[in-house]
Amino acid sequence: MLEGIFGNIIVEKILFTLYVYGEGYPLGMAKTFEEPVNRFQQQLKRLENAGIIVSRLIGRVRVYTFNPRYPFLEELKALTAKAFEFLPEKEKDAYYKKRTRPRRAGKPL
Amino acid sequence: MKIDWQKIEIKEMAALISEKLRGEGVDSILVGGACVSIYTKNKYQSFDLDFVTHAAIKEVTILLAELGFQRESSRHFIRRDCPFFIEFVAPPAAVGNEPLKGEKKLKTKFGTIVLMTPTDSVKDRLAAYYHWNDQQALEQAIMVAESQKINFHEVKRWSEKEGHIGKYQQFIKRLHNKT
Repeated sequence: MLEGIFGNIIVEKILFTLYVYGEGYPLGMAKTFEEPVNRFQQQLKRLENAGIIVSRLIGRVRVYTFNPRYPFLEELKALTAKAFEFLPEKEKDAYYKKRTRPRRAGKPL
Repeated sequence: MKIDWQKIEIKEMAALISEKLRGEGVDSILVGGACVSIYTKNKYQSFDLDFVTHAAIKEVTILLAELGFQRESSRHFIRRDCPFFIEFVAPPAAVGNEPLKGEKKLKTKFGTIVLMTPTDSVKDRLAAYYHWNDQQALEQAIMVAESQKINFHEVKRWSEKEGHIGKYQQFIKRLHNKT
């Protein structure tokens, strides 16, 4: 849906992930979408260079979020939200409804 | 003029880069922590020089190479014997949702620096405090506010628009406690 604008399907997946979950990391996204991790790393780096997203290291994992200081963030989020509405339910269920609430360490999944 | 790259000061460095770019028709503006260093006379010492330009990074790369700076990654430049790190931040030059309100020009012996105004510098630091709760950025905002004339009415208006009037009041309280 947004691929036409951003020229890349991976960017669409990144934007939807950050819109839904608030944050994401390359390996997690790669596993979710069953795509090579380097494709996500490449596009995350590109978006970070453009000031659209920012990252921070948590342990050894680089976690990405939207950049709250990006001047067009409100508009970008509105566009992402609109596009997300049009996403088929099947796709939403498969990729964008993962458990996000805490789970105590040691409990079986 | 002979330049001692190891001992050069941030203000001189910023002027050199600005002049080099301007001389070739490339407009740029200094933003971020380097402005804090300049406005506080190095009370806060930054080693990053963040510039915003609308010129192509390829063009900038050629010009900085003439000063001995090599492109380290997509937007970063370094020179082995120089402690400063140059970055060309993606445009536009903005604080939060708004474009910068004007610019300030500072003349030095190495040329003129175009940089964000002290008021925008305070907003820039406060943005990091507002969005990431960065206490260092709050300290830097206070340092600039103590050292320069700031339009507090404007900072308050902007803070309200950013949705952080509570944190603005914390900033004012901290500032008053220090002065």
